[in-house]
Amino acid sequence: MEKFVVVALNSLLTAGLYATMSYGLAVIYGVMRIINLAHAGLMMLAAYATWALNDRFGLDPFLSIVIVAPAFFLLGMGLYATVIRWLPRSSAGPSMQSLLLLFGVWLVLQNLAYAIWGGDTQSILTPYTMESIPIFGGRFGVPQILVFVVSILSLVGLNLVLRRTYLGKAIRAVTQNRDAAMLSGVNAGQIAAVAFGIGTAFAAMGGSMLSALYAFTPDFGRSFLLKAFCIIVLGGMESFTGVAVGALVLAFIENFASAYTAIPVSYQDAISFTLLVVVLVAAPGGLPGLWRLLDRRVVAR
Amino acid sequence: MRITWWAALGVMLLGLPVRAQDEIRIGAVLPITGKESKIGGAYKQATELAVKEANNAGGVQVGAKKMKVNLVLLDDTSDAAKSAQLVEQLITQDKVHAIIGGYGSHLVQAQSVVPDRYGVPFLSGGAGATAIFGRSKWVFGTLSPVEHLAETQMAFLDDLVKQGKLKTPLTIALVTENTEHGNDYAKGVNDFIKSHPGYKIVVQEKFELNTTDYRPLLQRVAEAKTDLFLADSHLEDFIAMHRTYTQMGLKHQMLTHGARGSDTAARKALGPATDYIFASGWWSDLLPYPQVKEFNARYKAATGIEPQWYNAMGYETVRALLAAISKAGSTDPEKIRAALAGLKMEKSIAPGQVLSFTKTGQADLPFVVTQNKPGGKVDLVWPKDSKTGEPVAPIPAK
Repeated sequence: MEKFVVVALNSLLTAGLYATMSYGLAVIYGVMRIINLAHAGLMMLAAYATWALNDRFGLDPFLSIVIVAPAFFLLGMGLYATVIRWLPRSSAGPSMQSLLLLFGVWLVLQNLAYAIWGGDTQSILTPYTMESIPIFGGRFGVPQILVFVVSILSLVGLNLVLRRTYLGKAIRAVTQNRDAAMLSGVNAGQIAAVAFGIGTAFAAMGGSMLSALYAFTPDFGRSFLLKAFCIIVLGGMESFTGVAVGALVLAFIENFASAYTAIPVSYQDAISFTLLVVVLVAAPGGLPGLWRLLDRRVVAR
Repeated sequence: MRITWWAALGVMLLGLPVRAQDEIRIGAVLPITGKESKIGGAYKQATELAVKEANNAGGVQVGAKKMKVNLVLLDDTSDAAKSAQLVEQLITQDKVHAIIGGYGSHLVQAQSVVPDRYGVPFLSGGAGATAIFGRSKWVFGTLSPVEHLAETQMAFLDDLVKQGKLKTPLTIALVTENTEHGNDYAKGVNDFIKSHPGYKIVVQEKFELNTTDYRPLLQRVAEAKTDLFLADSHLEDFIAMHRTYTQMGLKHQMLTHGARGSDTAARKALGPATDYIFASGWWSDLLPYPQVKEFNARYKAATGIEPQWYNAMGYETVRALLAAISKAGSTDPEKIRAALAGLKMEKSIAPGQVLSFTKTGQADLPFVVTQNKPGGKVDLVWPKDSKTGEPVAPIPAK
């Protein structure tokens, strides 16, 4: 029983980490129907920005989110205005142009980081980096707990903004039906710019927090991008609560498969991608789609 | 019109190789930018320094004359396909007499198929994977096999048992990255155990590079309750894994991450949690040989930095190639290859002090073992005749 609780708690913390790095991807996909392949590059850049703030001013990586996220919001808006807005619009799904363009942006960011910081491995060591708290017989890292708390706070904050503010309602309107939103007077172009800014700020928030957990180089972020992609597909691509649930499902499957089966731990990524394929084939709408389908069947009975 | 003719004549004269037969043309392809740029850049620095020193000394004695070395160094941007293509370019366009291989087993593996096609000697100082060697008579390497790294670590542990610091039977958690390097390391440990009773691997796992969550892996290690934790990891994985390891409160009598441990970046990222970790390497600046002390001082004077193993092995690779060319007495590829195969370079800065190659073309030098001590100190603890401090075993409880 103790093992079960420890594995469950660890899954929860892992889910917090996974959700944090996926929100930004979901915001941008929801509004603009593009998969931000530069997401990993933005996380990496934010990790370096956090490291620079820590190195120069001794600023804590979690506190530095207050500076890094708004700065990246502006960077995202700038990126939208100069590059993204010229992409041909597609309501059906991500266009090849958008994938290629954002992959190109990722490469540019990566090489920029190599040019500025070189290939040296960087990391941030805080007084609590190696600390842990004993809970139910297991020991859980303080940084992981902080990531989980920030993840929950950001989910609540994001949902409040989306439900209680005009901006949030406009984002949801464009996410659900761009043409109808425009007919209702919503400036879809402006909303897309803001959404790209928010998505970039979330990527930055993820990067700042990841810098407190991992060592990084300009190549950082690739494995997180792949996981985040699985999570948003699982979460239904555009629902933030869905993203949180998707992160939870993936983290639980990974951790319990390792704890209670003989499947080698190195198959962790294989589990993610098998899940991705199964969801894409069986329930393209992700978990929310599956839920709606089951709900309709229950009502029909 | 007259100016045009003069210009054409000038271009022709400038374009002609200036007594090209009197120089040794060495090609090198290194990852100077991209993912491997940190160590690739260090190899570049060491390679250029070795060539500069040879030229400052008047060149390399080849037969009756001294020949200057002309180094053509290209950047493969850490891209394997480009790396192989650039080696081909050096051979076909720059007509080099020999090639210095790159850094990183995956890059060198891609490069290593080209020299065989053209019959040009190829010497790498930055790849330890055994799969690269033994397939072509033209391919040589100065890094000993990674398997031997693991065997050296096991021999070191076995010696601690003989000293009474550790007691058999010892159970092992063996955790390796899912790469050629990791597989070679695991093979080395397994091979040693086959011929040495008293050791048992209780849990053996692989992990992918840049794993996002090490807790499931370490949970298995924790449940196995082993005496020793032997891992083989890249720097980023070592840092992430050891942070989780420390947070989980795991403890073992001895702990290693293969070649990782004493790196400045790791000690900065992990603080005192790296104390007593032991690591193996192809070289250490703590080696007590006079030529190493001399090299350390010379390298620092020339570059301003303390040499690391990659600086030393990059430098020694060039020296080995030039020694072979001198021994061959010719720039003929076949003669250089034969000289490399039979090379026995004395007073080498490499561990063991004699650099030579086995039948597969790979060097078989002993590895060194270092152990981190509190306060950022590092001691060379193996080979025994070179040690600068006593190994501490088991790791003291804090």
